[in-house]
This record gives sequence, structure tokens and C-alpha cells, in this order.
Amino acid sequence: MPALTDLLFYGFAGLALLFGFLCVANPLSRNPVTSAMFLVLTICSLAGLFVLLNAFFLAAVQVLVYAGAVMVLFLFVIMLLDLKEEERRKLNKVALGAGTVAVAVIAGILIRAVTSAKPAADKLVEGTTKPLGRILFTEYLLPFEILSLLLLVAMVGVILLSKKELK
Amino acid sequence: MTNGDYYQLLKLLAPEWTVVGTVLAILFADLQFWRNRSVAWRSAGAASILSLGFAAAAGLLIWKRAVTADLLGGTLVLSPTSQYVKLALLGLAIVTAWLCTEGEFTKHVGEFVALIALATAGMMFLVSTENLLMVFVALELVSLSLYVMTAFNKRSPRSAEAALKYFLFGGMAAAFTLFGFSFLYGLTGSIHLPTIAAKISWHAGDPLTLVAIVLVVAGFGFKIAAVPFHLWAPDAYEGAPAPAAAFIASGSKVASFFVLGKLLSVGLPGVGGSGAWKAFSPGWLAVVAILATASMIFGNLAALAQSSLRRLLAYSAIAHAGYALLAIIGGSQPALLYYAITYAVTSVGIFGVVAVVENRTGNEDIAGLAGLRERSFLLSVALSVFVLSLAGVPPLAGFFGKFYAFAAAAKLGSSLGYWWLVALALGASCVSLFYYLQVLKQVWVAPVPEGQGKVAGGWVVSILLALLALAVLVTGAAPELLIRFLK
Repeated sequence: MPALTDLLFYGFAGLALLFGFLCVANPLSRNPVTSAMFLVLTICSLAGLFVLLNAFFLAAVQVLVYAGAVMVLFLFVIMLLDLKEEERRKLNKVALGAGTVAVAVIAGILIRAVTSAKPAADKLVEGTTKPLGRILFTEYLLPFEILSLLLLVAMVGVILLSKKELK
Repeated sequence: MTNGDYYQLLKLLAPEWTVVGTVLAILFADLQFWRNRSVAWRSAGAASILSLGFAAAAGLLIWKRAVTADLLGGTLVLSPTSQYVKLALLGLAIVTAWLCTEGEFTKHVGEFVALIALATAGMMFLVSTENLLMVFVALELVSLSLYVMTAFNKRSPRSAEAALKYFLFGGMAAAFTLFGFSFLYGLTGSIHLPTIAAKISWHAGDPLTLVAIVLVVAGFGFKIAAVPFHLWAPDAYEGAPAPAAAFIASGSKVASFFVLGKLLSVGLPGVGGSGAWKAFSPGWLAVVAILATASMIFGNLAALAQSSLRRLLAYSAIAHAGYALLAIIGGSQPALLYYAITYAVTSVGIFGVVAVVENRTGNEDIAGLAGLRERSFLLSVALSVFVLSLAGVPPLAGFFGKFYAFAAAAKLGSSLGYWWLVALALGASCVSLFYYLQVLKQVWVAPVPEGQGKVAGGWVVSILLALLALAVLVTGAAPELLIRFLK
């Protein structure tokens, strides 16, 4: 009799794979908005996996930031694009074939690699905000601070590239 | 961590914070005081602030050059070598910033110079860490700044195209790198390179380790533009504003080669395998040997067919990535750093000449250099020094760079197992002579076109180019001068 957490893991993992597939290759709809919605569901399934790993903060952030904020931006961008053209576009048979072969080969290698591997046994981490905050300001202080520089670059870049060049 | 630890961290990172402070000073001055000035004035002003700030940072580095530190699980690892590499990065950034005064590709030149400084900060963090998380964050800081710099010329569609290609390939490469890092973490339970080295063990044909190695090398192969991850390079070199291309070809290469060499030799020494003749076994040596072979062959052959000077430089950079990988295979850090730094100095010099010539003539082809000898003697001599150094003609720095790199690979293992790679590199260098001499033929032999006047850059750029040419000459004539700092 498998434990409840195992069942939940397989449930969430299966859902994540299913929604992920429907996001990139939905046989029923070629509408990008549908794909975006399936991406939301994929992200929610991943959040479920994070909960099973005790990473509660990560799960919450996953839903709030990715399924919420980032997806809203995705939808905005999709609305600004010309959807009709995308739907009319024919599938490129050669590219599809090459892509399938490449994905199959990589998937084969990865499946063989993962099934034969013995991952290092690791202690179960506490994923609530308190230990996370502590570790961010002690052990990982430097990368955390550098992320602020990264955000500065992103901000300067976005403003400059999106602003109309005044002549 | 106690308060003392934080204080020590702040003290050790003084050069980096100086660089970040320079960024803020440039942005503030440009926004607050220089709004109504001309672009030429503002670019010179921003470059001056950057030079002053970076000179201060360089002073701090020289003052604390003998430092050694290993803090916070390897996120900050300082050694005299890393300090000297940072000095080289600061110097390259200063030259790049002054190149902005040649040609007006944007009105927002303050932000452009600030991005140069931010990328430099990322490179400085990149060379002083032995922690995978820190490597990734610093690498992204560098990459993101370079993508934006590539797209800066908003009047040119080619700049936008180049930036988009660079960004999409770069995003893919970052994903590969991160995927590889996560496998390394899964295998060893650590992101600290020496800990990984102690824990990773080689089970014959363990595919997961091999997948991790391939993914990591693929990600870095993009940064150093090694075949088959080079597709972005010709477009980025051609479309980007000259200073951005110069920085992609110089500072970014030095930092990426340094960290790739460190990652493989410090983090994965036990899983090298072998790329020796008839003794092939899987491991990163074999993967890197394949990359080096492909880069040397493809880069040199493709360069033969180019008529655009910048595309020629891009394919030459791909070939040079292949040569430098030989130093990584040889496991010789001094050889690798000597190669990377002298190559970077040469590249930034060539892009300086390209920037001046393009700015004055508007011609981007090799044929645009025709008769440069009569139009600017200084540029002709400097360009000749740089191009001959890239070709590996003694006594210039490029010759000794190749010599050390090839010797390191030849010495590895027993009975010259890597002779095939060294022989290939020597052959490829001979092929490369053809296209390098084509450039010099235009400069010194081709007739001066009608109606073309003198070509001259600003005085600061001219002095910097002369100094760079002198540096290539001196480090080549007396390689000990540079290499003793890198041991």
C-alpha cells in the first residue's frame, strides 16, 4: 500500500506532464491563450510538488508570482501579437520531425541517466520563510545582493529598449 | 555570521562596491547635470567618471593584491590570481568605455557606459567564486548587460536582430547551464566546487554525470562562442555597436574562460576521462576536445569566406576559442589566462580601430581599410600589430599565447596523447594566416581610394590604441612580465 504522499506525488507529477504537453502541443486548439492557461495549470501542479518537498514558501511564490503576475504579462503580450497569423501558420513537417527525433534522443538519455543514478542522500529541508530568510542573509548573502544589481540592469535595459527614440 | 563577518565581507569586496558606486555616479551625473549637453560631451564625461572610479578600484586591488580568502561556502574566494584578472577586466572596461566616444549610436550614452560598468561588476564576481549559485547569478548579470548593450543602437534593425539572437541563444544556454548545475547538485548534494570534486566519483559509464558535464560545457560553450554553440557570434559582432562588440569579444571572454577552467579543474577533476589518441574515454576532456576541434576547423574555414571585417573577427574569435580550449585541456591556468588576456587586449584594440574607421568612412567591409597607411599611420601600425598577434606571429603576444596553450595540451598525459589536437591547431593557425594577411594587404598594399581623406580618432582613443598595441608587443617580447602574475 503506497503512502499518501507517494500517491500525491505521482498525481501532481502526472498532471504537470499532461498540462505541459497540452501547453506546447494541444491537438484541439492552436490558440496561444489556451496554451497560456495550460501553463498556469502546469505551474500549479509544480507548486503541489513543492509542497510535498516541504518547500512551502517556494510553493506559495510559485503560485503568486508565476501563475499570477508572470502569466498576466504573458497574456498581455499575447494580446498585443497578431494571433490570426499564428493560427494560420502551417506546421513545418521537417522541423517537426527533427524536433521529435531530438526530443526523443534527449529524453532517452535522460531517462537512462536518471534511472541508473544514485542521488546523494540529502536531509529534508525546512522550506518555511524563517529558515529561508536566515539562509538568504547569511550563507547566500552575496548572490542575494547581486540579484539586486541584476534587477537594476533589467530595469535600465527595459526602459531604454521600450522607450521611443526621440529625434 | 556575526557583525565582524559582514564587515570583513564589505572590506574584501571594496573594489566591487567601488565599481557599483561608479555605476550610480554615472547614472546620476548623466541624469542630473548633463541633460542639455551634446552626446559627444556626455560620452566623454561618462567615460571619464568610469575611468576615475575604475582606477580607484584598481588601486584597491593592487593595494590588497596578496589577499587570500574563502568565505560563505565558497561564494567569495579571493587569490592573488583572481585580483590580477580583475585588474585586467577593469582595464578592458576603461578602453571599451572610451570607444563610446567614437561614433554616435545612441543618445543614452550614460546608461550605456553604466551597463559596461555593471557587466564589469558581474565579471569581477564571476572570477572570485567557487560556488555554482554565485557563478550562475554573476554570469546572468554579465549576460543581461551584454544583451542590452547589443540592442542599444535603436536606429539599426541589425542591432535589434543581433540582440534578439544573442538573447534567445543566451537564454537557452543559461537554461542548459542551470540544468547541468542542478544535476551536479543532485549527484553530490553540494554547490561548492571543492566539495563537489570530493564527492563526485566516476562509475564507468554513469550517464547522469556525463549528462551534467555535457550540459555545463554546452552552456559555457555559448559564452565563449565555441562550435556548435557559436551561431549568435557573427550576427552579434556585426550588428552590435562597436563598444558592445568589443566588450563581448574581450572582457566577457576573459571571465568566461577563467570560470570554465576553474569549474572543470577545481570542480570536476576526477571525471575528466580522456581525449587522447586511441585512448578515448568519456569525460569532460573528451567533450572539450570535440568542441576545440570543431571550433578550430569551422572558425578558420568560415573566416576565409568573409568580406565584412566584423564577421571575419567573429569567426576568428570562434577559432581562438578553440585554441584557448587547448589550454583548458592542458589544465594550465597560467597558459589559459595569458591566452585569454592577451587575446582580449588584441580584440578590444581591433574593435577600437574598427570603430574609428567605421565612424569616419561608414564602410564596414575589409575593403574599407584600403590605403589606410596614407590615411592614418597610427591606426595602420596598431591594426597591423593586433592582426599579426591574432595570427600568432612572433614576437607578439598571440604567438606566446598559442605556444603556452599548445605546449600545455601536448604535455598532458603520457606519450603525447593529444598530439592530434596540437597538430590540428598548428594547421589551423597556418590557414588563419591567409585571412589575416588579406586584412593587412588592404591596409598596406591596396591603392588609396579616390576622394578619401584622413582618418583620425579622438586623442584619448588614439593614445589608448597606441598603449594597447604597445602592451601586445611588450607582453609578447617579454611574456614573463605578465605570466608571473597569473601563476
